Amino acid sequence: MHNTTFVQGQFQFAGSSTLHAAEAELSPQGMLLIRSSDNKTLLAQAGTADYRFGSAVPGLAVELRLRDGAVFVPSDNRYRWPRLSKRSALAERLESHKLSIVAALLLSPLLLWWIIVDLMPMLASAAVPLVPDSVKQQMGRQTFYSLQKTTLEPTELPAEQQAMVRYHWQMALNQLSLEQRQYQLHLFKSDFFGANAFALPDGTVVITDQLVSLLQDQPDAILAVLLHEIGHVEGQHSVRLIAQSLGATLVIGIVFGNPEGVADLLLGSGSVLLQNAFSRDMEREADQFAIAKLTALGKSPQAFADAMAALLASHGDDGEQNSALLKYLSTHPDTRERIEQATAN
Amino acid sequence: MENNITSPAQPRVGKVAFSGQAGEFFGIWIVNLLLSIVTLGIYSAWAKVRTNQYFYGHTRIDHQPFRYLASPLQILKGRIIAVIIFALFFALSSLSPQAALLLALPFMLLSPWLIVQSMKFNMRMTSYRNVRFAFHGNYLGALKYFVLLPLLSVFTLYLAMPWALKKIDQYLCSNISFGGEKLQVNTDTSSYYIAALVAFAAIMGLAIVIGIVAAIIGGIAAATAGDSIDSTAGRGAVALMITVVMFALYFVGFALSGAIYQSMIRNHLFERTELPGVAKFKSEMQVIPYAWLILSNLLAIIVTLGLAYPWTKIRKAAYLASVTTVAVYPAIDSLVDEVQQDSNAFGEEAAGLFDVDVSLA
Repeated sequence: MHNTTFVQGQFQFAGSSTLHAAEAELSPQGMLLIRSSDNKTLLAQAGTADYRFGSAVPGLAVELRLRDGAVFVPSDNRYRWPRLSKRSALAERLESHKLSIVAALLLSPLLLWWIIVDLMPMLASAAVPLVPDSVKQQMGRQTFYSLQKTTLEPTELPAEQQAMVRYHWQMALNQLSLEQRQYQLHLFKSDFFGANAFALPDGTVVITDQLVSLLQDQPDAILAVLLHEIGHVEGQHSVRLIAQSLGATLVIGIVFGNPEGVADLLLGSGSVLLQNAFSRDMEREADQFAIAKLTALGKSPQAFADAMAALLASHGDDGEQNSALLKYLSTHPDTRERIEQATAN
Repeated sequence: MENNITSPAQPRVGKVAFSGQAGEFFGIWIVNLLLSIVTLGIYSAWAKVRTNQYFYGHTRIDHQPFRYLASPLQILKGRIIAVIIFALFFALSSLSPQAALLLALPFMLLSPWLIVQSMKFNMRMTSYRNVRFAFHGNYLGALKYFVLLPLLSVFTLYLAMPWALKKIDQYLCSNISFGGEKLQVNTDTSSYYIAALVAFAAIMGLAIVIGIVAAIIGGIAAATAGDSIDSTAGRGAVALMITVVMFALYFVGFALSGAIYQSMIRNHLFERTELPGVAKFKSEMQVIPYAWLILSNLLAIIVTLGLAYPWTKIRKAAYLASVTTVAVYPAIDSLVDEVQQDSNAFGEEAAGLFDVDVSLA
């Protein structure tokens, strides 16, 4: 710092591709002189305000740029200017120091995991109340409309069975003091969904004829299913799932960039796996809601286990549920796990 | 140093040199990854600039490196715009598919503008021997080549697609200039058709072989193990195996067809492109080595859960450099940058809001 620095390199005038072998002379005060190596003629001169150093990148020379666009590049790739900015030097030191590399190697996966598993769901939950009700209404209406057009047919259940389901529905709504105007129960026959039930963000709940028939001898199990679906609506799971998936896609996209098409391939399947994981978490949440509310209504949580057991039996004993890997491809938790959860309460 | 002018038109011929090192780049990558995560993505703009500086700086033609000139703040601005557009589109299409459908048309009309903007930005930020590249395309041209031609080729059942791809490549390359000289491109439509046909034939061939093998295995399994397949564990294992094999085949098909098309087209494009009086190019990619490179890179990334990414990126850059030859004419020693005249070298002047590359990656 206290001595004048001399550096060998090449110099180019602004916007010119002509190379000049040159020597840069940097005084302790920061005055810069660049002379031709051949005949020592002065090529450029500048005060501290009129030149800047380029980034220090491992393995590359640090260029010196003049305000007018001229460039001086040291011949030695390892040479680092004494007046290089602290930040530029720090970035390079971190990138080439063993300790910081090992730290980054350990911390990056942990932090990324934490962001996706904890932070994103938290942010999504916080963001959901910001979505206006009208949007959720619109979402529910549009989905309901297209489902009605494609996969749902009018119910064929006898009147007394319909009445039984509606009785339990009313009981749940009354007891939980939920706004009736928001919640709407619909019965449909659906070969596409089979024995199933689902909820839409605006409070529309659909239960299929097939599921009602399956559980006709266990009215409490029907109640448990309805409560599970109400749990989805109360937890605003549809909107949360969208927010979480968006967050995760953005984080992965920004942090990893797109490594030449590799990302398209891997991220495509990766985000499906993530979305399924989020979906499984929400199913568990709705399960817990149903179990808690069953207890509040004076029923046994066993009713929920009964519903799951009936569903499991009706689907046949799929070998799928056994495979540890296929678990990650599923949008719902393992049914046996859900039964255990209910009976444990 | 460079005044070794022998005879006026004698070019200096040499391979593109790439000196990046996997170990060195790994450090850059992982540290920048951590910083990007800790700053919730903001540092990713700095990470991108440093990564590009590393790769540009380690790529040399005629002993002179490329330089990447963009500032992190410009990248950050482009990313913020891209994130907003992406988030809006994602949210809208999730909340209301109808609204997303309505938005598709404006987005289609916007995309040529984004492409031109991105090309202009990236070319202007690339410099070789202190001379910047430039892109001269405009909105209407991009609309024609990136929207109308592909749409048209859909109506020909994709038969016109190779022709459209040729036009797109030609449009992109012939609008690039360096030192006031535009690239001259003289590609053949037939080469694009041949490349597409060979890639397609390779996929079909692979599919037929797989089909035959699957049928044989299925037949043997059904004949010998009829009982055990009925057990749930057996069925689970078979389902799992089929999933894994399908994924593997998808990767192989992806690598093979990509390698065939890309290497044939790149070789042809380089052969038929020149910067008049300044440089000529040659590319000698080979299908099998390149397919193996893509496939083994993918495998390495999967097996190491992403940690091999820096190594694969260096390896690919080194391969592409090693198959590329450039002949440089003495005119290169006395080019003048026309782009630079009207802008401050420090980029301090306020650039327009959209003087950016709107891109997530």
